[in-house]
Amino acid sequence: MRSKWFLVALLALALALVGAGCGDDDDEGGGGSADTSAQTTQAQAEEFPAGTTMGKIQKKGTITIGVKYDVPPFGFKNPRTNQIEGFDIDFGKAVAEALGVKPKYIEAISDNRIPFIEDGTADLILSTMTINPERAQEIGFTDPYFIAKGRILQKKGGDIAGVEDLAGKDVCTVLGSTYEETLKKQAPKAKLRLVDTYSECLELIQNGAVEAVSTDDVILTGMIIQDDSLELVKGEELTVEPYGGGFKKGDKEFTEFLNGVLEDYKSDGRWKASYDKWLGQYTGEEQEPPTQTLEDVLKEAEGS
Amino acid sequence: MFELLSENLDDFTAGLWVTTRLVVASFVVALVLGTLAAALRVAPSKWLNRAGAVYVEVFRDTPLLVLLFISYPGLRRSGVEIGAWTAGIAALGVYTSAYVAEVLRSGVFAVAKGQGEAGLSLGFTQGDVLRRIVLPQAARTVIGPLGSITIAMIKNSAIVGASIVALPDLLKEARIVNSNTFQTEESFFWAAVGYLLLTVTVTVFFRGLETRYAVRR
Repeated sequence: MRSKWFLVALLALALALVGAGCGDDDDEGGGGSADTSAQTTQAQAEEFPAGTTMGKIQKKGTITIGVKYDVPPFGFKNPRTNQIEGFDIDFGKAVAEALGVKPKYIEAISDNRIPFIEDGTADLILSTMTINPERAQEIGFTDPYFIAKGRILQKKGGDIAGVEDLAGKDVCTVLGSTYEETLKKQAPKAKLRLVDTYSECLELIQNGAVEAVSTDDVILTGMIIQDDSLELVKGEELTVEPYGGGFKKGDKEFTEFLNGVLEDYKSDGRWKASYDKWLGQYTGEEQEPPTQTLEDVLKEAEGS
Repeated sequence: MFELLSENLDDFTAGLWVTTRLVVASFVVALVLGTLAAALRVAPSKWLNRAGAVYVEVFRDTPLLVLLFISYPGLRRSGVEIGAWTAGIAALGVYTSAYVAEVLRSGVFAVAKGQGEAGLSLGFTQGDVLRRIVLPQAARTVIGPLGSITIAMIKNSAIVGASIVALPDLLKEARIVNSNTFQTEESFFWAAVGYLLLTVTVTVFFRGLETRYAVRR
């Protein structure tokens, strides 16, 4: 009797699993229909030789791009549409369009993005990754597609005009970030409040416990999107962080292709449109696309 | 190992000093509020008893970290310009006072009922019975448990630094040293030594009290 129940339960479980499997099939069906639309764009895109990375991606029909899921406005899951959106995603779309394929986004956090490139999980990484000589030893980089800057955030109308005004003030940043050291060097008299997450910094500046938050302008812009009573301090930046796209080291053709896409992206106004959409409209600032090449950035990093 | 300590001695001593001040101030708060709450709980009125019980249960049954995240931003947002120090001391003190109150209450109840009755029948007033007969005997039995609570409080003080209150206490300084040197075990080893210095001092102090007020049996 008992074994009969067991069988019934097993059957139910099997049915549930099959049901779940069907669900997956449906999803892929949806993807398939999108593929056909990708094929139509592929007709306009240049055909690349089969041996190159570009050719392989065209054969697959999708390019897998590792992006951040939690860094508005660069790469984040829009809670309303459940889609991944942001400045990094826009550039990813441009790369996919140039190949005539569909972009597939996967989450790449700071700890796993370089392994993702090395083991081929991702064809390309666009995840707010700063170009530096150590990383350039491991992976290939595009020319910088965005220059993030270390900036200061304060309440609108605050009296901070530059890093020197932080002396004697309570300033929040995240413990273990590079800004802890930067601030100790550039504003030794500031009273640092070191917390675990940027949301705690946002809380502290909102409730007035600190007068300033300092970190990447990208993250600070994310805070302004949350609360428009905050503003970026205009003064000179504390640090400069050029972001580059990452891919397998030594792939010369792919490097040239990506830099070509970036060149067009910057010159035909798409870069500017994306910047205004994700950053400019919140900060009220304007920025020109970066002009440096990868070599410029690496040379500068080694010089300092 | 010792290199890490000597190179970062300023950070570690600054952190130890912050933790020491935090702990001493919180202990005073805990003792005062705990005694008041215990008084409510042993008072000869049902409503006062209940008020004391609510106080104890609210603060004993809430995680300290949660208490910190609610009270500090909550108070500031409602217009109370509370500083990080005040918030840290108040939260740790109030949280610990709930435990102190329970220990004092059980201490009072541990004194045999006959002692109080004997005092009353000999013509002592209710207040005198409490002051001269019950409390001195209760104090003796609570020394040990109070020591345990104090040690727990010293360790709980690390939560104040790790919370949004973010005081630069011993644990926080150890984490800063760790983030600069990447020597994880060593950084936290020296933090542990710092906490041990404080807890051993407290242990010795309470042992001394215990010996001094011990009943010869």
